[in-house]
Amino acid sequence: MLKVDNVAVRRAKSVTLRDVTLTLPSGRTLAVVGESGAGKSTLIAAILGLVKLARGTISWNNQPVSACRPALVMQEPRAAFNPALKLRRSVMEPVKARSIIPEMGRLERLCDGLELPPDLLDRRPAEVSIGQAQRVGILRALIAAPPLVLFDEPLSALDAVTQKHTARLIADLQSEEGFAALIVTHDLGYAAAYSDEIVVLNKGRVEEAGPARSFIESPQTAYGKTLRDAAFALGALELAA
Amino acid sequence: MKLSFTGLSVERSGRNILHPTSLRIEAGERVGLIGTSGSGKSTLGHALVDELRTLGQSIAHVPQSPDEALDPLRSIAFHWREAERALGLDPNAARQQELFHALRIEDGDVGKRSWSWSRGMQQRFVIAMALIGTPDLLVLDEPTSALDPVVAASTMTLLREYLSKRQTAMLLITHDLGLASRHAERLLVMQDGQIVEDASTDQLLEAPATKAAQSLSTHRSWLQLPC
Repeated sequence: MLKVDNVAVRRAKSVTLRDVTLTLPSGRTLAVVGESGAGKSTLIAAILGLVKLARGTISWNNQPVSACRPALVMQEPRAAFNPALKLRRSVMEPVKARSIIPEMGRLERLCDGLELPPDLLDRRPAEVSIGQAQRVGILRALIAAPPLVLFDEPLSALDAVTQKHTARLIADLQSEEGFAALIVTHDLGYAAAYSDEIVVLNKGRVEEAGPARSFIESPQTAYGKTLRDAAFALGALELAA
Repeated sequence: MKLSFTGLSVERSGRNILHPTSLRIEAGERVGLIGTSGSGKSTLGHALVDELRTLGQSIAHVPQSPDEALDPLRSIAFHWREAERALGLDPNAARQQELFHALRIEDGDVGKRSWSWSRGMQQRFVIAMALIGTPDLLVLDEPTSALDPVVAASTMTLLREYLSKRQTAMLLITHDLGLASRHAERLLVMQDGQIVEDASTDQLLEAPATKAAQSLSTHRSWLQLPC
């Protein structure tokens, strides 16, 4: 289980996270939503140990998070790869770095789950579509079977149809693989549809947190309601006819 | 003022990326141009802006990201003056005040460079600049994709209020049928470089006729909640 306990982060004199507490058990999905500057990406950096905590602790099963070798899926699919390398080499980097041998047929099974033809990995990032590049990014994140996967705006570069398709593939793989997923997104519709819990960050603080469905149906704070109403106004959520 | 063109096409490397297309947009009409990535909607957007300008019609275009429209080394005031100059207009403080008020950017310091404004303020400023010459048609290419949802929703609401007062037509280019259905009364569906469906928003949501429209309709929102 991921435990973020009373965490504060200071950057250049200002406090970017304060009193942040959350938990994420294995196999579950937690979405962290909020506007730009709310502290979402800082939270990911803090979980990965890339920024120093001013206060609090972050752990995975009572060990430092780095011990579980979490994976990260980034926002810009093509920028996440070395443009000079064929995708297969980039995808296999996590297993090489950890000197592990993936179970027989794992790569093919994951490719199948992500609807990636195996020969696509013999191309370079610029030679595949943006949707395919993002699915290869997910493949690279999962190849070494991490117990925790962090998704930083994983769908924002994709079109609406590809977004929904990719979200479904991620969810299907999660039920097979059992990893814990922390999704940082400004898209409340995605968070509502695919997470168990939603944490709303506002100016570095947890504004409210709770089960996804009950948050969407009745947000407890004025800020939460503003976010929910914006999702309706933009068509990300709608009322059934 | 009604806007129309016929037989507009675009070829690149010997391949038709926009098949001959004809279109008519009524004064004040709100039209959504929707399709997946690579369907040709931005190509049509750019081509129709060029074509209608060539035909002498007053068109303004707002790009996807304010970075495409703003020079980070220049002040906001400089951009405004340049936009007025390009349209052959004399500086007019009342016009600036009206547009800044309509898009709720009147509190921004115009002496500062664009990057010191928030993304939402920058995008609203770009929209305000596009409206300086009171165009007959405003073309918006994914205008909310660089914005946070709260800012995006309020920007679209403010813009619609302003356009409906002026009877300015709007062409909203987006991959997101959910967004288009909230802000357009008529939808054009693009696929493989051509418009494959042209219907009222209600009609398209109720009974999409083509596979492309059906797919967009199926994926238009993340979640439908009971009323």
